[in-house]
Amino acid sequence: MHKLRTATLHTALLLSLMFWGCKPDDFQKLPQRDWQLVWSDEFDGAAGQLPDAAKWALDLGTGQNGWGNSELQSYTNDPENVSLDGTGNLVLTALRSGNSFTSARIKTQGLFAQQYGRFEARLKTPYGPGLWPAFWMLGSNIETVSWPQCGEIDIMELRGQQPHIMQGTLHGPGYSGGNPITKGYALQNARFDTDFHRFAIEWDAAKIDFFVDDYLYQRIERGDVPGEWVYDQPFFMILNVAVGGNYVGFPTDQTPFPQKMIVDYVRVYQ
Amino acid sequence: MSTTIRTRLLKYAPIGVLAVLLLSGCQRELNDLQPVSYPTNPEVFINSFSPGLNYAAFGGSVPTAFDVDNSVTYASTSTTSMRFEVPDAGDPRGAYAGGTYFTSVGRDLSGYDALTFWMKASQPANIDVLGFGNDLGANKYQASISDVAVTTNWQKYIIPLPNPSKLTAERGMFFYSEGPEDDRGYTFWIDELKYEKLGTVAHPEHAILNGQDQVETAFLGVSKVIGGLSSTFNLPSGINQTVNVTPAYFEFASSNESVATVNASGVVSVVGGPGNATITATVGGVPAKGSLTLQSVGNFQPAPMPTRPAANVISLFSNAYTNVPVDYYNGYWAPFQTTQSADFTVNGDNILHYTDFNFVGIQFSSPTVNATAMTHLHVDIYLPNTLPANSRFKIEVVDNGTGGTGAFTTNIPVAQSQQWISLDIPFSNFAGLSNRNNLFQVIFVDEDNNIPSFYADNVYFYNAGMPPSAPTTAAPPPTHPAAGVISVFSNAYTNIAGTDLNPNWGQATVVTQVPIQGNNTLKYTGLNYQGIQLGSPQDVSALGFLHLDFWSANSTSLKVYIISPGPVETPVTLNVPTTGWSSIDIPLSSFAPVSLSNVIQLKFDGNGDIYLDNIYFRN
Repeated sequence: MHKLRTATLHTALLLSLMFWGCKPDDFQKLPQRDWQLVWSDEFDGAAGQLPDAAKWALDLGTGQNGWGNSELQSYTNDPENVSLDGTGNLVLTALRSGNSFTSARIKTQGLFAQQYGRFEARLKTPYGPGLWPAFWMLGSNIETVSWPQCGEIDIMELRGQQPHIMQGTLHGPGYSGGNPITKGYALQNARFDTDFHRFAIEWDAAKIDFFVDDYLYQRIERGDVPGEWVYDQPFFMILNVAVGGNYVGFPTDQTPFPQKMIVDYVRVYQ
Repeated sequence: MSTTIRTRLLKYAPIGVLAVLLLSGCQRELNDLQPVSYPTNPEVFINSFSPGLNYAAFGGSVPTAFDVDNSVTYASTSTTSMRFEVPDAGDPRGAYAGGTYFTSVGRDLSGYDALTFWMKASQPANIDVLGFGNDLGANKYQASISDVAVTTNWQKYIIPLPNPSKLTAERGMFFYSEGPEDDRGYTFWIDELKYEKLGTVAHPEHAILNGQDQVETAFLGVSKVIGGLSSTFNLPSGINQTVNVTPAYFEFASSNESVATVNASGVVSVVGGPGNATITATVGGVPAKGSLTLQSVGNFQPAPMPTRPAANVISLFSNAYTNVPVDYYNGYWAPFQTTQSADFTVNGDNILHYTDFNFVGIQFSSPTVNATAMTHLHVDIYLPNTLPANSRFKIEVVDNGTGGTGAFTTNIPVAQSQQWISLDIPFSNFAGLSNRNNLFQVIFVDEDNNIPSFYADNVYFYNAGMPPSAPTTAAPPPTHPAAGVISVFSNAYTNIAGTDLNPNWGQATVVTQVPIQGNNTLKYTGLNYQGIQLGSPQDVSALGFLHLDFWSANSTSLKVYIISPGPVETPVTLNVPTTGWSSIDIPLSSFAPVSLSNVIQLKFDGNGDIYLDNIYFRN
């Protein structure tokens, strides 16, 4: 059981408490944690370059049954779908050509995986009906035990027709697909596609905490899952933009294209 | 060595909050007073009209279309909604439902980003226009969305405010206009109508000229309005909404004001040249897509002067000829025509100027043109934009009788843009035209969608052969009742007895009479001057007009006189050369001070060969 310590406040903050009528939820008293940066990609590089091949591999094509979700896009390694923008960002772009779509999906499978820690990305999402961006993780044993036994941690998922709401989710054996453990976090009077936001999990042997911009909106403890807790092994990370599929529904002819997810960095701590 | 990241807590209060706290308790001074600002009340209709709100129905609409409804409302918290009854087509009370809600004192809407409301209808429909900014006056900041789909379920609708910073004193809170759907009326309801700061209306995109970058040549004195204005926003549902906007939302700029200026209404005027100027716009600091680059060449270059003899020409538009009656030079054929007109005049030379060109028609139906005797259509065109590729320009000539439509397409190479191009098209090249007895339209078409605009001048039909030297048809037979006529020369009436058609006044003119289609016609060959001595003095004071029919292919000057003793004579100028027979009824008052009770002679002077018939006084 953690002991909550009172954090230090500045004088101006004290005044703001008195005159802003803030809701108690706006302030969280969280334990101070010391993290050490062990892996990152700041996506610095010349415009048009593919992401660092030492850190990221690319999933290509349509997978099986639209990557298992009836997704409509075909993933490519074309710079018009995945490239750096020369100003410190990675851009994944979904393109429409008639009734077919291309996009990109990059992963650290086979290059980097870690058990426990803090996994964070700072990004701006695409928008529009049928757009499904995600920052997520799969257990490294997926090749042997397959899904959902390998476990899946979704750090950020969003449906483009509701660009102000994102979800953090766990999929595992007994709680996957249509009934995972999930919670949404919505911005009031703002959207996730107009500004950068930080999405993170902090994961240890007892729990996985889900954050948006340092706000803890979901904590899933080992005893909370209705099935097996499969999060005691290394997981690798995935970034992708899907178009259509069971989670988000179809894009319509009113969905603006092209659509971009812009990622400032991905950082992993221990 | 570990890197510590201290978990942070949330936002800091702005310094201003502190400052206000410190100042409280000070005595109020004059320089603490703020300028008057307008009320910021965002509510328009929640359960009743918000304070200060008035309603006026638009002209031609059913005056009682709007009412409040106490039973059909959105949500149990609402006691009253707005109800709109759209009439059937043909309803004598009005053709549509439409009106505006406006305040007497303007409101400051600059803190909001959308007008929102809940709406449903008694049947699915598409509402023509919903918007705000209509204050029954200048409507300076009017903005609207069109063709709004409404269902039988309550749904929330959002109209983004294109540039809220401009709306600091807006009186037009909401307006609507909807006609029958498939000729039938129905009812729709609106509730919870208010302005909001959603924060979730995103990705503004503004456009002028439909987002295109246009380049065109221009001349001193040319002006045009920047059109194709729109503002598009992404709604919280992730789909885009385009808002129709007025020029007042845009800030226009010219890159070179010594060549072209642009005013707040988007009117561009070319004031200098040679030189270039690029017109762009922003909305609230956000650049709009689209631009217009004007390459001014300075003084206007007119089209080549026509040289065809007038007798060979039937002219629709030219300063060199007398034009036949034309219904219009741009039919504005809805809904597919985009072509606008920006005709101008430089140094007395009239030029047709078509912009936003896809197709446009010139119509001349009262009367139609019998072009049987003509061999060609001529038109001068000037394409001021740099053509992206060779472009086809199509011309259609349409007969209102049995002749059908003839089409001719010419390919304009890139090198021929930005100069006058003269087209002389034989009628045989208008494929599909079987006769041309009743021509009534000439239509221009942008076949490849490559020609944004063009000038046109000297649009006429002509006969390329030698001009006819004599009429081929008789003068039109008179129809005036004989009881009101005193006739000098006509087969249709009894003429004044004893009239001398060729008195010897020392003239060079040779006078003969020739039959044309069986009708006796007076002919003057080589006119300098020529008299007609009436058989006896005539009192025409009770009559109103002198009528005559005249025909000349080669005369450039012709006057007719009536003469009373003195002699007192007054000329009236006749328009020559003629295209076919010309008939004229000259008011006798034009001949003052000739004594109308004692007319003894007529006289003609001028030049050329003249045919005359049906010379008579009438009431």
